[in-house]
Parts: sequence; C-alpha cells; structure tokens
Amino acid sequence: MDARRSRLHQAQLAPAAIQVLQDLTIVFGAPLISGVVAHIEGRLQGRRGPRILQPYYDLSKLFRKETLVPEGSSWVFLVGPIVAFACYLIVPLLIPVLTTYGLPLGYMGDILGGGFVLALAGFAVAVAAAESGAPYAQLGASRAMTFGALIEPTILFVVFAVGIITATDLPYALAATVRSSAGQIVRPAHVLAAVAFFLVVLADTGRIPVETHSGTIELGMIDEARTLEHSGAPFALLKWGSAMKQLILYTILIDVFVAPWGLAGSAGVGSVLLAIPALLGKAVILGCVFAVIDNSFSKLRLFKITEFLAAAFLLAALAVLVYYVGGG
Amino acid sequence: MNAILVALAIVPLAATILTWWTPRRASQVITILSGIMVFGLSLSLVPTTGAGRFLAAGPVLRADSLSVVFLIPTTFLYGATAIFTAGYLHPPEGEAGRRYTRRFFAGINAFCWAMVVAPLANGLALLWVAIEVTTVISALLVAIDDTDGATEAAWKYVLVASLGLGIALLGTIVLYYAGTRVFGASYDLSYGKLVAGAPRFPKDVVRLADILAVLGYGTKMGLVPVHTWLPDAHSEAPTPISALLSGALLATSFYGILRFFQISVRAIGPSFPRNVLLTFGLASLLLAALYLLSQRDLKRLLAYSSVEHMGILAIGMSFAAPLAIVGVLLHVIAHGFAKGTAFFGAGAVVRKFGTKDLRRIRDGTQVLPWSGPMLVLAVLALSAMPPFGLFRSEFLIVAGGLSDPPDAVAAVLVVLVTLAFFGLSWFTTGTMVVAPRSSHALAVERGEPSRFIVVAMVLGLTGLVVLGIHVPGQLSGLLHRAASELEVAR
Amino acid sequence: MVHPAPSTFTGAADVISVLVLLSEFAMLRAPLLRSQIRLYAFQSLVVTALAIVVAASQHIGELYVLAALSFLLKVVIVPAIVLRFLSRAEVDLAGSSAFGVATMTLIAIAVSVFGFFSIGALHLRSTALPSTALAVSVAVVLVAFVLIVLRSDVVSQAVGFFSLENGVSVASLVVASGLPLIVDVAFLFDLLVAVVVFGVLMRVHHGRTKTLSTEPLDQLKG
Repeated sequence: MDARRSRLHQAQLAPAAIQVLQDLTIVFGAPLISGVVAHIEGRLQGRRGPRILQPYYDLSKLFRKETLVPEGSSWVFLVGPIVAFACYLIVPLLIPVLTTYGLPLGYMGDILGGGFVLALAGFAVAVAAAESGAPYAQLGASRAMTFGALIEPTILFVVFAVGIITATDLPYALAATVRSSAGQIVRPAHVLAAVAFFLVVLADTGRIPVETHSGTIELGMIDEARTLEHSGAPFALLKWGSAMKQLILYTILIDVFVAPWGLAGSAGVGSVLLAIPALLGKAVILGCVFAVIDNSFSKLRLFKITEFLAAAFLLAALAVLVYYVGGG
Repeated sequence: MNAILVALAIVPLAATILTWWTPRRASQVITILSGIMVFGLSLSLVPTTGAGRFLAAGPVLRADSLSVVFLIPTTFLYGATAIFTAGYLHPPEGEAGRRYTRRFFAGINAFCWAMVVAPLANGLALLWVAIEVTTVISALLVAIDDTDGATEAAWKYVLVASLGLGIALLGTIVLYYAGTRVFGASYDLSYGKLVAGAPRFPKDVVRLADILAVLGYGTKMGLVPVHTWLPDAHSEAPTPISALLSGALLATSFYGILRFFQISVRAIGPSFPRNVLLTFGLASLLLAALYLLSQRDLKRLLAYSSVEHMGILAIGMSFAAPLAIVGVLLHVIAHGFAKGTAFFGAGAVVRKFGTKDLRRIRDGTQVLPWSGPMLVLAVLALSAMPPFGLFRSEFLIVAGGLSDPPDAVAAVLVVLVTLAFFGLSWFTTGTMVVAPRSSHALAVERGEPSRFIVVAMVLGLTGLVVLGIHVPGQLSGLLHRAASELEVAR
Repeated sequence: MVHPAPSTFTGAADVISVLVLLSEFAMLRAPLLRSQIRLYAFQSLVVTALAIVVAASQHIGELYVLAALSFLLKVVIVPAIVLRFLSRAEVDLAGSSAFGVATMTLIAIAVSVFGFFSIGALHLRSTALPSTALAVSVAVVLVAFVLIVLRSDVVSQAVGFFSLENGVSVASLVVASGLPLIVDVAFLFDLLVAVVVFGVLMRVHHGRTKTLSTEPLDQLKG
C-alpha cells in the first residue's frame, strides 16, 4: 500500500498530459460548478433548487435533440457556437489551472492573448445570435457587445496593474508574486486590482447588477437572450461554453488574484490530481459568494450599469496609480 | 515669561468675555480701551525686538521683529475700528438690537484676539490654528447683518477660506515631515528650531510644503486665482469688519506665507519660493488692476484694491532684495492704515447715502465735509501718492527690484500699479468730487454721520503721513531687523 | 521599475488610506445627503482605524488618545450635528449635482491622477517614506474639491470640507505620526469650531432661502 502510494507520488505526468487535464477539468468541471451554484442559489431563495448534476442531464438531452435553423440564416448560425466552444478550450491552456509553474503552451499567449480569445468567443456568439434574425437574440447580442466595450477599459487597467507589479504579463507570474509574501497580498495595488477584477467577473458571468442570469424576463436578459433561437447540439455547445467561461473567469480570479494556493508545485501525479478538487472547491465557494451577492442586492436599471462599471474602472485605475507613485 | 506678551494675548480675550455681558455703551468703551491698550503694548515691543532680541512666554508665545511688524497694523486697526464702530453701529431697537450689539462687539474682540495671537504664536502649527480661528469668527461676523448678500458672502468665504486653510495644514504637515529627517519623529514646529534645521531638510519635500502653504495661506490673503471670496466678503460685511478683514486679516495670512518663505529659502535656496510668489503676485496685480477699472460698488472697489496690494506684497517679496523686503514690511503696515481709513470713509458714505452703488453717490466731499475729503486722501494714499506711507513703501519695493541685478518685473509692477491708480481714482473722484448731474444721484443733507468716524479717519491719516514723511528711528530699525530675518542672497 | 512588496504594516496602512479615498469617491456618488453623511462617518471611522494601526505599529501611545478623540468627534458628534440639522430642515434631502455620476467619477479620477503624479514627480520614493499614503491623501483633498465644486447644496459642500480634513488627517498620521498630541488636539478642536460655524451658516442659509441648494447664492459677481 505504502509502496504504491509513494510510486504514485513519484510518478510524473508529462506536461502534455497536464495540459490535457487542464482542459478536461474546465470542460467537465464547468457544468458541475453551475449545478452546485444553482442548487445553492435555489436554497437561498427558499426553493429546493435543481439537482446538482442537472446541467449534465440538460446537455446530454440537448445533444440528442434535432437542430433547427431559422429560415434565411446562413452557416454562421451553426459555426458560431463551435468557434466559441473552441475558444473556451484554448483559454485554459494559458492560465494556471492546476500547476504553479508555466506549462509549455502557457507561454503561447499572455494575459492579453487570453482576453482576446475570450473576446473572440463572445464575438462568435454575438454573430450567431445576430444571424438568427430574432429580435430578442439580437437585443441580447447588442447589449452584450455594448457592455463588453464598457468593461474593456477596466480589464485593461487590471492587466496594467498586473503587468507593473510583476513586470511581466503572464498570469503565472502574478500568481507566483502573490504567493511570495503576505505583503504582496495587502499591497493596495493588488487589492484594488483584485476587487476590480472581481467586479468584472460579477458583470461578465451574468451576475451583472442589471441582469437576471436565470429566468425568462427577456428585458433583463443579456447572455441568455443570445441563445434563444438555437436548439439541439449548437445550443448545448453554447450553454456548455457559457458554463466554461464562468469557470475560466473564476479560475483566473482564484488562481491569479485571490487564492493561488492548492496548485500543484510539481508534475507529480498525486499533487496534480489533488489540484483538481482544490480548484473546484474554491470555485464552488466563489460561486456561492457571487450567488449571495446576486441575491442580496436588487437589480439596477439598465442604464445604471455605467455607474457600476465606473466604480470598477476607478478601482483598476487607482491600482495602477497607487503602484506608480509609491510602489504600493 | 514676558508679561507684555501675556497681556497681549489676554486683554482682547478678556474684552471678548466682558462685552458678551455688558450693555452697548460699556462694550464700546471696553473695546476701544482694549484696542488702544493692545496697540500701546505692541508699540512697546518695538525697541527690544528691533534690537534683534526675541521675547517668549512659555512654549506657546514668542515675538520677534517680524511678529511685531505684523502686530502694529493689526492692533492699530483694532483700536481705530473700535472707535469707528462707536459711530457706525446702528442696531435696531429692542431685544434684537441688544443681541446684535452683543454679538458684534464680542465677535470683533474675539476676531482681533485671534489676529493678535497669530503673529505671537510660536510655531507653524499654532499659527495655523490661530488663523483658522480668525476664519470662523470673521465668517460669522460677515454674516451678522443677515441679508441675502451677507449670507452668500459668508458661505463663500467660510468655504473657500477653510479649503485654503486645509491646504495650508497639509503644507504644515509636509514641512513637519521634512523636519523629522533632522529632529527625529517627534518635535514641535517652533520657528527657531525650523529655521536652524532648515538647511538639512530634504529639498523636494520643502518644495511641496512651500507651494501648499502659499496656495493655502494665499487663499486667505486674496491672491489670484484663489481670491474669489474676498470681494464678496469685503463688500457684504459690516464696514468695521471689512476694514479689519482687509487691513489686518490679509496681512496675518501674509505673515503665514512669510514664515514658510523664511524656512524655505534656507532649505532650498531663494529661486523656487521667489518664483512661486512672483507667479501669484503678478496674477493678482493684473487681475485686480483690470477689475478696478470696471467697478460699480464702492466697497468692492476697495476690496479689489486689497487684492492689488497683496499682489504688490507678493511681488515685492519675490524681488528678495534687502531694500524690497523692507519696503514690503513697511507696505504691510501702511496698507493696514490706509485701507482701514478708506473703509471708514466708505462706511461714512454708506451711512450717509444708504448705498454702495458708485453711480448713485455724488458730491461726497460736499455732503461729508470731513470724512469725504479724508476718503479722497486715503484713496490717494492707496494709489501710492506722496506724502503717504505707501508711496515710500512702493518706492522701496520698486527700487529694490531695480537694484542689482535689475528685474524686469519691477517695470511691469509700475505699469500695473499705474493702471490700478486710474481705476481707483477715477471712480473715487467721480463720486466724491463731481457734482450731481444724473437723476440717479441721491439727495442727502450735508453733515457727518458721527464724530467717531472722523476721529478714526484722522488717526489713520496721521499714521500714514508719519510713515510717509519720516519713519521713526526705532520702527525703521525694526523693519530692517525683520527684513534681515527674511533676507537671502540673490 | 518593479517595486518590492511593501512591509505588511505599510501595505495595510496604504490599503486603509485607499479606503479613505474610495469613501471620498462614494460620497461624490451618493445622491442622498443622509447617505453622504453616513459615508463621512464611515470615512472617519477608517481614519480612526488608521490611527490605531499606526499607534500599534510604531508604539506611539499618544495616538490612541487621538484615535479616541477623533472617533468621538468625527464619527459621532459631527455626523450627529449635521443629521440633526437635516432632520430639522425637512427639505430636499437629495443633493443636486452638475454632472452625471459616471462623468463626476471620471473627473475625480482625472483629478486624483493629477494628485498622484504631482506627488510622484517629487521623487519622494525611499524605503522609509510611505509616499503612497501621502499621494492618496493629496488625492482625497483634490476629490473633496471636486465634490464641493460639483455638488450644489450646502450640506454636501460642508461635508466636502470635513472630508478634506480627513484627507489631511491621513497625511498627518502617516508622515507626521510624531506630531505632539497637543497640536493634534488643537487641530481637532479647530475642526469642531468650524463645524459649529458651518452649522450656523447652514441654518442661516436655510432660514433665508428655505432650501439647501446653493443656487440662490449667485447674486455677488464681478
């Protein structure tokens, strides 16, 4: 028994295998996180909530359904979801999902590169929604793009803050910096950038202070509205992709900014395998925090979003300033 | 423990408390006596401090030549204003009037107390506290008439001046920080210590402190562009308060700037503090000269003249020649005398005509046989005409600016002062000398509103003539001594 | 230019001072006068906390006294005075402002950028100097200016001044923690006097115009 454990401990995973594991964690963990959070959210609202594994059932059911295409829409309608899903498969390769050290493909793109890939995914979904010709889908797409443009400056400043703190633009480097000392965690530049990014994630995962991320009120929909016309496998890909995007953003927030602990420091099988539940556990906790926030504040009117995003921008800008002036 | 210093700090305070309880006549007498006594006490400090000694009472009070220079105009105006007030004040009958009188006299004494204590305070922190106290008391005094204009002016004044003083406090704290490099973490901000240690202060920090202090105290002093409260407060306040604000309060704030200047030049050399003062000074002089050409309101006219003179003080300081500094200090005293007298005259005009509108006041010298001509003389004094003290002081400032190496700013100064002279004298002669033609002019009977007003004005003009014709030897010694405290190698 | 991480104490002090700045921004945003006053109380509480942190880390016993006094004055008395005035005034409890919230925030950000850069331009950087906190306090002062300029009611303007004083307090705690207690107390006493005078003038203004808006205050020009 002991011998086996130590063998397991000593066994090293090839970097390529870890990269695959990264993707698999995100791909198969994402519906789980959505399910757990939806369940807890239901409890918060006094309901029993859906089953934890419900997203998996939904996806498998959708994959078995037929695919309907609106009259007059072109191939873009069907390709959009696939492109988006592919993008969500690429991003996990760039960020510290399981390991503290950079994996070979981790140097393929920096934090901006990851941002671009995420933006491409959003673009693909939006184009597919626009192609459907349905008013609500187009409304959702145009809103998503507008708010995306408003969030952009904040993300840029967060990136700047990360960049000047670590003198690199690699997410791995920031996570390593944060781990290096307690002083790094309390330094204002880091705190401010982390909070700003927290707000960005809040807005970007459909928890935005104006959006109802679940439910059927079309006027309050943004992300959900975009997929109204899709069905069958493409719809499943969109739903899955949106769950993955949520987990990716959670992962960046957790493993880069807030709590980069529990990651594997080596390629040992044991530590890498331990990192998976650690990440999912942290993601569940974070998801609960978001759910609590989402349910304890009333939604704002749509145009009030500028205030919310102005606040996020303020924090991100201050992060850069504070660092610039005094190394705070 | 110097008894005179203690008396200077206690007498006006005692007067404040007494006048809160006594009826009007007694209050008048107490205020006048307190003013005269304090003026006498501060004159008695001239010989000792002029000889280069400084006096102290405990860790709190300290007087050197520079403090006494600023005490003189303040305490003189205290006494003169007290006399003027006796003739000026017309409170309504009954309980409301009694309350008004009580507030007025207690307020005026408290205001003067704070202004007397400010130059005596030993250290930048206490100085700041004293000046902030002058702000809050005088804001209440500006509002005391309870008119729309007075309320607006008081609100603007207290807001702008408090903000300025907030900046000055920041400057004080930054300077304190500079000192911690030399004296360790904890020390008091007394002048002797700061001046002695200044050469070892970190330069960048002192630079920041100097800018903040000039901006902060400059707000209170009325330097453009942070002068915005000044014309409103001066024109809407009761005239005795206007006289004190203009002649004494502005000087007190200038004193704060000079203390920072004194420390800054020792820490970072003269060029930076000089340039800061020059910038503010030129802006003030230019803007005031232009505003003086387009005034409709007698008291606003005098207020902008104050801005002009504060600009002259700042520019004079920026020349930093020994001669110019003596001129600046003399200018502080002479401006206090002249501006006080001019406001007293304006008070007589306002009482007589019931308006401050320059278009409706005509033939003042005929209507007011004494105070009318004296107002004209005071305005001529403000325009730096001989034989008044301001002529001598401005002459010294310009001469200092032209002494080696000649400074082109001196020429600009002369041009702008001339421009201001046109504005000031144009309107004053128009109202005081020209006979009424338009139907706007008010018809009023000939006669003085009160003898007290005349007495106060005579005192002021006498002082101006003395300063203009021959500065008494001991005073001259005091001025040179104080200038040497501020002097720097150019 | 990679700066090493500050010590935990400096970092904590910096974060607290940034909180002061953020509450200043929140005041700029707060539409209701009452919430503005509560934010001021919160800001003062943060300043008090900073005083305690500084006192504990630098072993300056006097600062505990100062913290207690400033808590009493700025967290309890001043907000109570202003709130009482508001509840008596019973008019327009929502302040007015010249611009929308996002615009005001951007203006204030621009202004604090100026503050940060002007402090940064002084090259005060050194191991001993908490220049972040100094820059933050300058930014607080500047944002308080923006607040006073852009909000057009007497209560907001008065609160703006009080919060400016909080900004200066941050500076004095961080760069001049050794300031003699008596001087600090004098400053606080002075604030109290100023509060009373602001209160009197606000009451006079309200008594004359029956409003808290500063719009009637445009008679004096030129």
